[in-house]
Amino acid sequence: MPENEFNAQFFEQFLDDYFAESDEHLRSVRRNLLALEDSLAANRAIEKNVVGELFRSFHTLKGISAMANVSAAETLAHYMESYLRLLRDGQTAFTEKGLNALIKSTKKLEEIVAARRDGGEIPPIEIEIKLLESLTIDGEIVESRPPSEIESIASQNLRADKSLYLFTFLSSAELAERGVNVNSVRERLQAIGTIQKSTPAVKEGGKIAFEFVVETGSDESVFAAWQSDGINFEKIETEARETAVARESKISESQKSGLFGQSNVVRVDLARLDELMLMVGELVISRAKLAEQIRQIENLLPSGEWRSLQELNHAIERQLRNLRDGVMRVRMIPIGEIFERMQFAVRDLARETGKRIRLEITGENTEIDKLLVERMLDPLLHLVRNAVSHGIEDAAAREAKGKSPEGKIRLHAETIGETVEIEIMDDGRGIDRKEVAKRARTRGLLNADENLDESGLLEILCSPGFSTREEADKTSGRGVGMDVVRRTVDELGGEIKLETETDRGTKFRIQLPLTLAIADALIVAAGRERFAVPQSNVREVIEIETGALRQFENNEVIEYRGAALPIVRLARVFALEEKARGAFHAFVVGEGKQAVGIAVDRIIGQSEIVIRAINDRLAQTPGISGATELGDGRVVLILDVSAITRRLKQKI
Amino acid sequence: MKRILVVDDSPTIRRMMIASLRGLRDVEFDEANNGLEAIERLALAPVSLMFLDLNMPDIHGVEVIEFVRGHKAYSDIPICVVTTRGDEESRAQVLEAGANVYLTKPFTPQDLVAQANKLLADG
Repeated sequence: MPENEFNAQFFEQFLDDYFAESDEHLRSVRRNLLALEDSLAANRAIEKNVVGELFRSFHTLKGISAMANVSAAETLAHYMESYLRLLRDGQTAFTEKGLNALIKSTKKLEEIVAARRDGGEIPPIEIEIKLLESLTIDGEIVESRPPSEIESIASQNLRADKSLYLFTFLSSAELAERGVNVNSVRERLQAIGTIQKSTPAVKEGGKIAFEFVVETGSDESVFAAWQSDGINFEKIETEARETAVARESKISESQKSGLFGQSNVVRVDLARLDELMLMVGELVISRAKLAEQIRQIENLLPSGEWRSLQELNHAIERQLRNLRDGVMRVRMIPIGEIFERMQFAVRDLARETGKRIRLEITGENTEIDKLLVERMLDPLLHLVRNAVSHGIEDAAAREAKGKSPEGKIRLHAETIGETVEIEIMDDGRGIDRKEVAKRARTRGLLNADENLDESGLLEILCSPGFSTREEADKTSGRGVGMDVVRRTVDELGGEIKLETETDRGTKFRIQLPLTLAIADALIVAAGRERFAVPQSNVREVIEIETGALRQFENNEVIEYRGAALPIVRLARVFALEEKARGAFHAFVVGEGKQAVGIAVDRIIGQSEIVIRAINDRLAQTPGISGATELGDGRVVLILDVSAITRRLKQKI
Repeated sequence: MKRILVVDDSPTIRRMMIASLRGLRDVEFDEANNGLEAIERLALAPVSLMFLDLNMPDIHGVEVIEFVRGHKAYSDIPICVVTTRGDEESRAQVLEAGANVYLTKPFTPQDLVAQANKLLADG
């Protein structure tokens, strides 16, 4: 094999590392670009450490792209780095034009990396390079701002409530063995304040020490306890401060090792975690089989021995649950990562449409399964784009309505029991129900005399091909793509709800299970079949006297919490044998007006189930989302609750 | 057994370097993702050769070289700088500070192996 061909193949094996690391840097870049944009909007000087981090990100992207032979990314990153170097060194002023060039080029970089990953065509970069080149050339003509205008942590005056300390860490093999090393010490110091300077020094006996000048508001008692870890400190008094700070300013980039400085993070391929989860799933099934066996031999063993066997079984069950939670936790990432991307999209769209928008993010630390995050990215982007393009009015229209000229979009996430709830809210004009109804009627999606409530409205919006906008508006028109949003949420076993009010705004609420592979489920019987219902779908289990059922517009309903609750008999849905009985159970799914009771013959109990999707198209049945195996070895089908309730709605 | 310390803030680059050098006889690897960590690793176990990036989050590679050359215990360790294209203006400064070799990315596995063999033999 010729040498260059060998090398190409050799580096090919690191492509996944390349993509992962590029993504990390591009995420950090986006975050920092937002910070720059904020500074520009508020007419504040840009922060030196933000520019420094951006510079480093593009520098690394250039290096790894060169190694991975993605030359378009290498070239583009090189131009961006050059511009940032000028900014960093105060040789050019930061302008709107510069920001736009950086944003455009970042997008292009993302496209290039994506194209390399998906085997697509690498897009051209000439326009971006011209933009960046014009900036770097302008940069030489523009009179440089005095460096004092670029704010640096170091040059800020020391705040009254903070003090400067000199920390000295004496490194040793014993400490390193305990995990106490320069990286972990630096992390501790970063947690209590800002590191202004770090220097290595050799002490007697050839030992190496590291000195850190740290500005902190923490009490000495916090770090006094660190002496046993080889960390000593002394306070730097006021007179000494200035010299320490002055010395610091020589070193420009020592602050904040940031996201990439931490070496105690391990990257794991998601597929490996899937495998792990699958193995846990198999264990769960084996344990259930064991439990079944133990039950069957209850009468064959002396009760003492049987009981200890049973206790052991319970212990394994508990431990398995811990194992499952542990594996799940590894798969969880903060949802903030995709919220950040929303922020980017909102700013872009706001710029394009000329609308003024404030984005509020709460609950960004809520953790969610990585796979769910990936699948939800596009649907969430779609909802956010809709909110900007069609929810929020332009400033004039808002003022005419007596609203603040600045529109608000809120993204919120929180964990509720076994589910994660995501909200996308805007304070715009709300969805025009009449307009939607009119259009739905012309398309035959709605009868002439029917009114639309919120669930009906969502139903119409999510119908494939429905749009209240003209074709030209397709990229973000409400309706286009809403069917994809709904389908994705369904596929993930979640629920989506809509609240909208004229001139007050629109809110989408999405509930998703925490993880996909294993779930707690209610096991129910209907006819001779047994079914599993994910616990996250079930609001309540109720008992119904057959006498309490009333007939209402072709449907059975009961009175439930002061309203009529439609009842669907599961046996009838799947055309199973039905026995007449005086009372039966039902589980309630959905909330408020959307609530439906699904009637079954019997509730058998609760169980952990391992979800397996049914991929065979021939075997796919509406209302069934997958299958699972119970302890006795029988396969039960997992109900797709939203499909069943949808069918009921269509019948009405 | 010779110990090679690979210093770069990119985990991808470190993996590529170590994989490139994997074929050498009687060597083991240590890695660091920033300058201070590099100095700590050096102090904790003797190092026979160091591959060093320049632009890192805490202290610059040149400072690492100056520290190494400035202390008797480490001053003989051969240093091969592997930096990103565009840093070439630093070449003279790096060599003056005491680096033995200056390479730019992209490197080939053969480049690294050749330098390692040469520098380990000289040492």
